[in-house]
Amino acid sequence: MAVSKVLMPKLSEAMESGKIIKWLKKEGDRVQSGDILAEVETDKADVEMEAFGSGVLRKILQGAGSTVPVGSLIGVIAEPDEDIAAVASQAGAPAAPAASAAPATPAPAAAAAMSSRPAAVPPQPRREDPAARTPSPASAPTAPTRTAPAAAAPATALRPAAAASPAPGDGGRLKASPLARKIAAQSGVDLHVVHGSGPGGRIVRRDVEAASAAPAVRPVAAPVAPGVEFEDRPLSQIRAIIAKRMPLSKAPVPHFYVSSEVAMDRGWSLREELNALEGQPKISVNDLVLRACALALLQHPGVNASFQGESIRVFYRAHIGIAVALEDGLITPVLRDVQAKSLGQIAAEARDLAERARQRKLRAPEMSGATFSISNLGMFDVTEFSAIINPPEGAILAVGAVRKVPVVTADGLGVGRRMMLTLSCDHRVMDGAMGARFLQDVKRLLEEPLRLMV
Amino acid sequence: MTRTFDVVVVGSGPGGYVSAIRCAQLGLGVAVVEDDRPGGVCLNWGCIPTKALLRNAEVLNLVQHASDFGITVGEVRADYAQAVQRSRAVADRMAKGVEFLFRKNKVTLVPGTGTLKNARTVEVKGGAGTETLEAGRAVILATGSKPRSLPGVSIDEKLVISSNGAVRNESRPASIVVIGAGAVGVEFADVYAAYGAQVTLLEALPRVLPIEDEDAGALITRLFGRRGITIKTGVKVSAVKPGGPGAIVETDGGRFEAQQVLMAVGRAARTDGIGLEAAGVQMERGFVKISPTMETTAKGVYAIGDMAGAPLLAHKAMAEGVVAAEAIAGQHPRPIDYGNVPSCTYCRPQVASIGASEAKTKENGREVTVGKFPFTASGKAVAMGETDGFVKVVADKATGEILGVHIVGPEATEIIHEFAVGRTLEATLEEIMHTIHAHPTLSEAALEATLAALGQAIHI
Repeated sequence: MAVSKVLMPKLSEAMESGKIIKWLKKEGDRVQSGDILAEVETDKADVEMEAFGSGVLRKILQGAGSTVPVGSLIGVIAEPDEDIAAVASQAGAPAAPAASAAPATPAPAAAAAMSSRPAAVPPQPRREDPAARTPSPASAPTAPTRTAPAAAAPATALRPAAAASPAPGDGGRLKASPLARKIAAQSGVDLHVVHGSGPGGRIVRRDVEAASAAPAVRPVAAPVAPGVEFEDRPLSQIRAIIAKRMPLSKAPVPHFYVSSEVAMDRGWSLREELNALEGQPKISVNDLVLRACALALLQHPGVNASFQGESIRVFYRAHIGIAVALEDGLITPVLRDVQAKSLGQIAAEARDLAERARQRKLRAPEMSGATFSISNLGMFDVTEFSAIINPPEGAILAVGAVRKVPVVTADGLGVGRRMMLTLSCDHRVMDGAMGARFLQDVKRLLEEPLRLMV
Repeated sequence: MTRTFDVVVVGSGPGGYVSAIRCAQLGLGVAVVEDDRPGGVCLNWGCIPTKALLRNAEVLNLVQHASDFGITVGEVRADYAQAVQRSRAVADRMAKGVEFLFRKNKVTLVPGTGTLKNARTVEVKGGAGTETLEAGRAVILATGSKPRSLPGVSIDEKLVISSNGAVRNESRPASIVVIGAGAVGVEFADVYAAYGAQVTLLEALPRVLPIEDEDAGALITRLFGRRGITIKTGVKVSAVKPGGPGAIVETDGGRFEAQQVLMAVGRAARTDGIGLEAAGVQMERGFVKISPTMETTAKGVYAIGDMAGAPLLAHKAMAEGVVAAEAIAGQHPRPIDYGNVPSCTYCRPQVASIGASEAKTKENGREVTVGKFPFTASGKAVAMGETDGFVKVVADKATGEILGVHIVGPEATEIIHEFAVGRTLEATLEEIMHTIHAHPTLSEAALEATLAALGQAIHI
């Protein structure tokens, strides 16, 4: 069997480099084609990396924590008796930093060598660095380059992750009951901003419940060591890619915007009626918008289109990207063939995509191939906004909140539910009228929502 | 004569004596008024002496079953009078212990009956005449409760006895009807049956130990039935008359005859004649109305223990005594979590619980997971020869919050505290799961029931 190289895979269209989170196989392990070798952090998600050859994982050339360009050699799979010296020596050539780029340990004995040569092998996940156990200020975590108050260091030396976050209680350790932690995790409450009312400031269940019931109020300013005026936070992968790509859209793509107000009264009651049915997935306003857009895109393929330089590519299927806000950026998982899906299907699949996007559990194909996108900031009570097109798509719809507003009726003033839609269009692909007609159809579908059901 | 103290406590039961000692620890001068021996019902007529009797019943049962262990004993003779005498000796010793604690903490014991004249003045009528106690800071009322009866049935402590009489009577009746299958009724039924009496246990509600989880009541019914105790649930007593061997109990479910009747239908606050109106203390549904720090509607007058409402348990009274004392001393005591008070019945096998029953959690709309582990699968229980019972854990499905724990079995009343601590600390199933339990112990059943709730029980 041939020697096979393990290369940093290109897991999404935009991926240029990947960070190895951890190896799930160690040197000397036998692997089958298709086994999960390692977890890799790409610009958009944490992805499992599969083996493309069978044999023994003879060599790991990039340890956990290394970031390497796509296509770099990161490991070697071969039979135990095969000579891999030639292949392994290619390592480092395209690859970047690689402090762990491996002295030539005789391969099969590698597992045994691990304990005696910690520097030569990837750090074992979950095992704490022995240095971190030493309670000295010098070992305080340095990740975000905020000067850590020295007093906090000894208490936090064993828990580097918690040290950077201001926390109630003593010495930076977050004091919270197990139940409070679980409820917080399930309700999305950040324990760092919760006031603990238990003994010694411990966060208990009632504190989390109160925090999740109250509107999310972040503390005005987190306590910071005196004298610190700012901190430089390293870009997350996702923030870096957004920073790089958005100017590539906004500057070269000539945007124009069309807006329309949609009467959501009927859409709202339809949704309520649907959600009262038992055993049905709960339908959100965004699901209605998704369905309306898919149907309108079929009618207006000119909007469902991409500028290709010499031509315009028009799509006949609606693969819609759904912008999902993350802690450190946003991500746009793609719901495919929305035109062929019922509202219930859309609701279930969109929710699943969004949840997995937040957990960084999307698979690579789920993050590319959109023909159109929707960005909804209604949950933040945004009335209207305009979004930046995600190239090579030709348009993106920005959705505002459904608000109760005074409306003029035949008899005078009444209360109606209204929602603002703003379409950003690539002028190279379409003109104002085309965008406007599309938007008009979306509006009609939402205002006569039974059309969404047929 | 008038004496002034920072705090005057009326009653020296578990609520009163604990609050008095806590006040003294906090530097307050305290007087305790007591019209009986120190220790109240708990030490003198309730908890402690009944535990002594139940221990006798347990030892007797063990000796009777000595052959199970390959031990041959001669003729077994159990003298009930001696059991009661032992029980009295235990109570005496504990009451003396309270007197010792008072001396140690410089708490002044004032014998006599206390009556509020106003929110700061307690008049004490005793053998030595009348004395007035002025309270500089506060009065703590801790007068406890007394056995209740049914309408039209009077407790004469001869034909119809209460627990007060039962715990004193050195002669065991040949037969007895116990009305009420709560903790008191079930415990006396156990003692009398162990000593050979014909016992009939009546309960108006659908099952014995009605405040416990259904599974607990069902198992006790089965085990008591096996020991020859007649149990009738869902029957309402209409009258108790002299006749037959002693008394005839008429119910909507038939007539029951026995030499004596034990009235164990519950207890009522003991508030008559203590001057609540004079001080402006209001009642609510038969008990004194209190704030979270035990203060009554009269400023500076606190009420703790049975008189201040359910659950009528000594340990709840003690906890309230501490809260009242600390509040009076100007501290900010943590309010009592009334949802986290263990409930214990010391029959054989014991019954203990904390939190809500499975049925109650479902009524409250919680989606729960239930883990149950029988003592038949516990190595320690089998070695002891005490395999009746189970540990049942009811937890929230999503969070693993421990909503209720129900134990029937050997030392159930000890095992329950693992869960009491766990609930106080807001531990979830996982924390119990990750706690290594010594082997072999009865407490392993607590671990296994927890694992069962997580679908991971090993030993079943």
